[in-house]
Amino acid sequence: MRLSIVDLVVQSADGRMLVHVPSLTVRPGEAIGLQGPSGAGKSTLLFALAGLAERVSGKVMWCDRDIVRMAADARAAFRRENVGLVFQDFLLFEELGALDNAALSAAFAPRSVRARVKRHALRKLSEFGVPIERARRVASLSGGERQRVAMARAFANDPPILLMDEPTASLDRKTADPLIADLVKAARHDRKILIAASHDPALLTQMDRIIELRDGRIVDA
Amino acid sequence: MRDLWSGLSATTQDMMILTALLLPSVAVAFAILHGHAPFPIARAMMRRLRWTNIVFVLLIGISIGLGVGLIAQERGMRQGSARAAEKFDLIVSAPGSEITVMLATVFLQPTDLPLLDGAGFAEIVRHPNVVLAAPLGFGDSVDGAPVVGTTAAFIEHLSDKRLDGRMFTSVEEAVVGALSPLALGSVFRPQHGFGDGQIHDIDITVVGRLPLTGSPWDRAIVVPIESVWSTHGLADGHAPQDAGQLGPPFDPDYFPGTPSVIVIADQHWANYALRETFSTERMMAFFPGAVLIQLHDLLGDVRQVMSIMAVVTQGLVVAAVMTAVLLLVRIFRRQISILRALGAPHRFIFAVLWSYAATLILAGVGLGIVFGLAAVQVIGRVVTARTDILVTAGLGWPELHLIGIFTTLTLSIAIVPAWFAMRQPVLAGLR
Repeated sequence: MRLSIVDLVVQSADGRMLVHVPSLTVRPGEAIGLQGPSGAGKSTLLFALAGLAERVSGKVMWCDRDIVRMAADARAAFRRENVGLVFQDFLLFEELGALDNAALSAAFAPRSVRARVKRHALRKLSEFGVPIERARRVASLSGGERQRVAMARAFANDPPILLMDEPTASLDRKTADPLIADLVKAARHDRKILIAASHDPALLTQMDRIIELRDGRIVDA
Repeated sequence: MRDLWSGLSATTQDMMILTALLLPSVAVAFAILHGHAPFPIARAMMRRLRWTNIVFVLLIGISIGLGVGLIAQERGMRQGSARAAEKFDLIVSAPGSEITVMLATVFLQPTDLPLLDGAGFAEIVRHPNVVLAAPLGFGDSVDGAPVVGTTAAFIEHLSDKRLDGRMFTSVEEAVVGALSPLALGSVFRPQHGFGDGQIHDIDITVVGRLPLTGSPWDRAIVVPIESVWSTHGLADGHAPQDAGQLGPPFDPDYFPGTPSVIVIADQHWANYALRETFSTERMMAFFPGAVLIQLHDLLGDVRQVMSIMAVVTQGLVVAAVMTAVLLLVRIFRRQISILRALGAPHRFIFAVLWSYAATLILAGVGLGIVFGLAAVQVIGRVVTARTDILVTAGLGWPELHLIGIFTTLTLSIAIVPAWFAMRQPVLAGLR
């Protein structure tokens, strides 16, 4: 999977430019760090790459498929099959357990892949050291554990694209470092595209490239 | 096709109607849920607003319970009153209101009735098809329970000869209804009328008890008709030389009059002929069952109105619940957006919200059936206690059909909040 962005513009409801990326290419196996001050447009860019942003123009080509031009259900299908997402504030189902959250996409995946998604989610939770008692809801987990559940959810489909917003923000150093190693390994060895918005220098230094955003524009790449 | 349908048993027909009523729900559920597993998510949403959901389920349950409970009760009341009138094949009385005479005779409601004289009664007795003509005498009471005068033959007819104790053999003996508080061997003095009437100067002993009839006769105190006449200072229906005789034959010259006569014919068909024969200027003859049917026909319209009102009330409750679910969709906006962000198709979101609403409805329907059964029992006991008409209603096919209509309609209405949830913008819910 290769990413080519051409003249990507995301606007707010009142017509303000939120993100403008004239051109960007990311190869499979490449890990990209997005940095910049809060409000610089990092999250908006990630949403645009995932086909979640509104009022988008230009092209976001994943291989030969322009996610900007896709219909809503086609974009959802693309995300379901190709994208692992980690949101800034986890966005978990608080009433469900860690495994049910990590394997959430199994609920709407084709029947033939449900078991595989659940197996994968279970393995990732185990690798990330998250307690997986079914009865225990994620609401009762610590911030770090919840972040790792969100990470496991992103990996559950074994997607070729990982889009992560502050994936280590709630983790202590001891937990974050092995996770960063996992992310980088996933990108390099499994030929995934990893794009992570972060303020964590330990994460950013492990990336192949760092893109700095300011006021929605790339100021350094 | 019509012949095939007519050939089916009533139960099979009812089951098929219920199946046909529920079939659209099954079809809707299959179309929405096929290929998806929305229940874990719907369950999580249920848990999130547990108490709100419990209130919704209770509202639906109570509205269904009361609706079907009242309708079942109305049917139970009709069946109970029809059962109470079963032993009263044909009533002959002086001309007047059939309903008033029926209420006085079958349901022992105190009322003033014109009397049929001895000549009229003799005419009835003389008819070759009449096997039993029992005059009734009302007007006295004991602690609020009516004292009814009649003949031993009618008591045997009423009790199917299953008396506990024995039949009265003198004017100072009585047989009591199954629910009368008077025990065998107890002695009482009847009071004139109901309320503060004069106590008659006669001691009457209870010698027998009728089996349960499911009618106001269960609380009645039945004495020889001669006892009623004589305590009121009237002739006792027999010539002086027959003093002390109980029951027929009565002498028309000494017959004080009776408000109604229960007539039993030797053949079922003869009842119709007797009704014709005794419908004259001096007499009125009618089937209490037919009068009840007229009353029930009148109530039938009420029943239809009640059914419509029950459905409308339940519909309103569900509309209110669905409106609330629509508002809850806003609370679940984030969860819905997460699902969309992770790649859930619109149909899955639709299935989740529909499953959520459907779970509330089906839980409410289940609870409504339980409430309905309880309501029927409670109301039945209250009505039985207040009217002495044994009401033994349960939820029957009409109520199940009503529930079937309700279920299908509401599961279809549940599409509305699901549709709104599906159309929510994703990004706003993620921020």
